Amino acid sequence: MVIHNLRIHQGDKIAFIGESGCGKSTLLDMLAFIAQPSYSEIFNFYLQHQSSINIAVEWQRKHLDPLSQLRKRYIGYVMQTGGLLPYLTVKENILLSREILDLPLEDEIVFQLINDLKLERHLKKSPAVLSIGERQRVAIARALSHKPKIVIADEPTASLDPYSAKVVMELFINLAEQFNITLIIASHDWQPLKSFGLHRYYLHTSYSENLTETSII
Amino acid sequence: MFKIFKLAARDYFYEWQISICHVLALASILAPLMILFGLKFGIIGKMVSRLVEEPLNRELRPVSSKHIEPDWFKEIKSRSDVSFIIPLKRNLAANIQLKSKTANKILNVELIPTAENDPLLPEINRAPKQIDEIILSKSAANKLSVKAGDRIDGSISRKYHNKTQRVHIPLRVLAVAESQSFNRDGAFCSLTLVEALENFRDGHAVPELGWSGKPNKLQNYYTGFRLFAKTINDVEPLKQWLNEQGIDVRTRAHEIAVVNRLDQNLTTVYWVVAFTSIIGYILSLGANLWANVDRKYKELCILRLTGFRTSEIICFPIIQAMITAGLGWFLAIVIFQFVAFTMTHFISEFTDTTDICRLLPSHYFLALTITTLAAFCAALLAGFRTIKGEPTDGLREL
Repeated sequence: MVIHNLRIHQGDKIAFIGESGCGKSTLLDMLAFIAQPSYSEIFNFYLQHQSSINIAVEWQRKHLDPLSQLRKRYIGYVMQTGGLLPYLTVKENILLSREILDLPLEDEIVFQLINDLKLERHLKKSPAVLSIGERQRVAIARALSHKPKIVIADEPTASLDPYSAKVVMELFINLAEQFNITLIIASHDWQPLKSFGLHRYYLHTSYSENLTETSII
Repeated sequence: MFKIFKLAARDYFYEWQISICHVLALASILAPLMILFGLKFGIIGKMVSRLVEEPLNRELRPVSSKHIEPDWFKEIKSRSDVSFIIPLKRNLAANIQLKSKTANKILNVELIPTAENDPLLPEINRAPKQIDEIILSKSAANKLSVKAGDRIDGSISRKYHNKTQRVHIPLRVLAVAESQSFNRDGAFCSLTLVEALENFRDGHAVPELGWSGKPNKLQNYYTGFRLFAKTINDVEPLKQWLNEQGIDVRTRAHEIAVVNRLDQNLTTVYWVVAFTSIIGYILSLGANLWANVDRKYKELCILRLTGFRTSEIICFPIIQAMITAGLGWFLAIVIFQFVAFTMTHFISEFTDTTDICRLLPSHYFLALTITTLAAFCAALLAGFRTIKGEPTDGLREL
């Protein structure tokens, strides 16, 4: 996979569309500083009032701890299948991202997320007893509860039926808009995302010399 | 660090079935080890130390009578490897016939001269000093059915001018010796009494007791002794020293070698068993934790994704292993206490020891230290397993 040039601004809402296996998840993981590319030239992450941090250099120097600091402060991540911790209750899962930042646990945004995502009934339950749609709503609440600047979501509604998928996606995008969060979504299907006003990038796959190569510009 | 500790503990108790298995696995290795060491420290240790301290093994007997000056005894008494020595004027065992009012049989017993701190009389704190005081061995006291404080009659006979003469001497039983080391019929008495009886038997007069005979010529040297070394390890050097003085002694060198070998072999066996079990425990816990990390890989990746540092993720299985170590150790102590209590209860009927199986608080602490270290070693491997490859590998599987 080659990324020649990609620029994402604060408040952008973008969607990466491509068939499965084309490298959408890998791209998202790179944007979350988890997956390290085999080669990188410039990868600048601009903070609000400070100068930028060159992620590519941090990778080369194997400075993984500063990257996890950045990740926990600025990024929320919604996985395809919830990714909740089974040993914590729903509420503890939601508060996890606030807790590791030492943010106060009772906050306006937490109440609003619980309310908007209709999770009041489930707060004390274990994630194991929730339906997949409910788990995905908990995962969204967790990704947003510490008011990150960026939320990255990998096929957040792929495991839901079309109706709940639409409901969950709507809630998700509305909340992101309210908090002015940069939203990066990966999906194999553009159709359900069409109505939400996302900026669309296609991942093109071409084959050369037995290697699959996806390029995006 | 506190947060990862909290999460590891939450996970540990959430998966309580698996955690219980780990704790049981640990306790099932640790408890028998503790019992084994409890026995070594308890009854077996006591048995070995009893063999080591056994007075008969520490005794050095002169082979033949020698002319020994009184000054020589002063010298040997000052040696640090000598526990007890009493000079003897004759080398052959003396006998006396005893008769009590409570038993109608006359008992022929060995007469052994004694003094303070006789190793054969460990529980007696007052040695016979007066000529009429004796301490009876347990079997002699039983046959005469007498106890401390009773009075009995002692008598000996001699052929004198072709006539058999018998003299009597009233004796007082000072104590009854409980010691296992001397199990024959015997009476321990002052050196004066032994000498008086020997003189009478040889045809001499004993004016102190009013017995007539040939006038006694004064003998101001000794011909033998009763000698005990401090420990069984002092026997051989002491024997060498005596040989250099021209005194041949008999020792129980063979028994001493057997006791020493037994002690060494037992210790070796314990450590081999302990070492093997500890290695086995590290391997089994290590394998369990390794599998656990593989099973929980996705959850650990989620933690990395949420922003936990690599070092904190490595701690996750280590913290859980520490909890297992603590709980397993505690359970092992409970099992150990129960077994030790039961053993003491049932076995103590057949022995005079009450500490059949016991450990000191410092032993418990040592067990905890070893367990924790072993668990830490096992968990460290698993800890590095948590950060293999890219964290995203674990996130994609359903």
